[in-house]
Amino acid sequence: MTNRDERRDAASLGETRLDAWLRDLPQGVEPSRDLWPAIEARLEPRARRWAPSWAWQAAAAVLLVAGSSLLTATLLDDDGTSGKMAATPGATVAAPADVSAAAVPANYAAGSQLDPEYLAARRQLTAMLNERIANLPDSTRAKLEQNLAEMRRAAEQINAALAEQPGDPLLQDLLLKTYQDELAVLANVNQLTNALGSSASDATKAESKRIDL
Amino acid sequence: MPQPAALGDRVDEHEGWVLPTGEEAVDEVQRARDVAEERKLVAAAVDGSSRAFEALYRRHAARTYALCLRMTGQAATAEDCTQDAFVQAWRHLPRFETRSSFGTWLHRIAVNVVLQQVRRRRESLGAADSVEREVAEVLEDRHAADPAQSRDLEAAITSLPPGARHVLVLVGIYGHTHEEAADMLGIAVGTCKAQLHRARALLGARLDADAGGAR
Repeated sequence: MTNRDERRDAASLGETRLDAWLRDLPQGVEPSRDLWPAIEARLEPRARRWAPSWAWQAAAAVLLVAGSSLLTATLLDDDGTSGKMAATPGATVAAPADVSAAAVPANYAAGSQLDPEYLAARRQLTAMLNERIANLPDSTRAKLEQNLAEMRRAAEQINAALAEQPGDPLLQDLLLKTYQDELAVLANVNQLTNALGSSASDATKAESKRIDL
Repeated sequence: MPQPAALGDRVDEHEGWVLPTGEEAVDEVQRARDVAEERKLVAAAVDGSSRAFEALYRRHAARTYALCLRMTGQAATAEDCTQDAFVQAWRHLPRFETRSSFGTWLHRIAVNVVLQQVRRRRESLGAADSVEREVAEVLEDRHAADPAQSRDLEAAITSLPPGARHVLVLVGIYGHTHEEAADMLGIAVGTCKAQLHRARALLGARLDADAGGAR
């Protein structure tokens, strides 16, 4: 028995020698073999916790959006310079999906407000896009719709993360970047369709003038 | 009312307080470091690090195995229970609240695993002499002081009826309170106390009988 145990004995009333013997038994006994390899083989991989992963998910979403935006811009640029305009005067175009229908209201976490000017610009550009998206080739339109949907999904994810981590500066930056990307794509598409619409209109006028002559 | 003193204060025997000596104060600091280290390991294991969980296994395997061995009375079953306990601990670790001790939480899981095993193997468990010998032999090598006495004691513990043995192991050897032991075993606190009383009486009688036989 150790000195500490003896002192504890002295301080504890009613303790029997049997209790002291029990307490002195070794609390640990090494197994005859190492059980760890068998245990390790049975451990299921653990899905990483939400807390450390939200930032990576959000960052990945923004990277995807940035890549998609670049791709969309390239596609639109190709379409514009090569003159592969789907909508020529009199041509029938399939009715496009309503892009604004998939758009989620722009949030900026609980208690935060987006700039009203941004919201107004977003509403205006989305409305213009809905009017003019029919002028884009089918493949471009599909790609554009897909990319806008991805941006909005990313924004939803970041907003959800912000609801759990309000005020997180990284998340706020990521969300702002996503909305800026969306706005840039909407503006590019509208600018392009404007330009293409003007070219097509000029060509029609020229053709009319030639016939009149 | 006497107040607890700071670590390292002298022993005040007049007031009945047992205060830590300098050596024990160092132990306390080491224990605090261990707790902090263990919390880091738990956090890493929750994040999916099997290396961290292995470190937790290395810290707690011997204690968990000894508990299982004393409760089941069979070395092979105790190994199975130890493995199951750690696998379950890994599975439920994200729900572990670090306010409590990982060791106590693991004990709780191990006891639960043992009780399930006991229910499955009830017919093959008991106080058979071969089982007593097996446990006593496994434990003998680990008893540094007075192996003969320890071996007799371990054999006597293993000879107890399961209910009394479980309570004695948890309360008598591992220092759990009656409330904790009752909760782990799924019995009333009163039953737990009664089982401990019964276990002590049986153990005393058994040891007396052994001592009488030896004389």
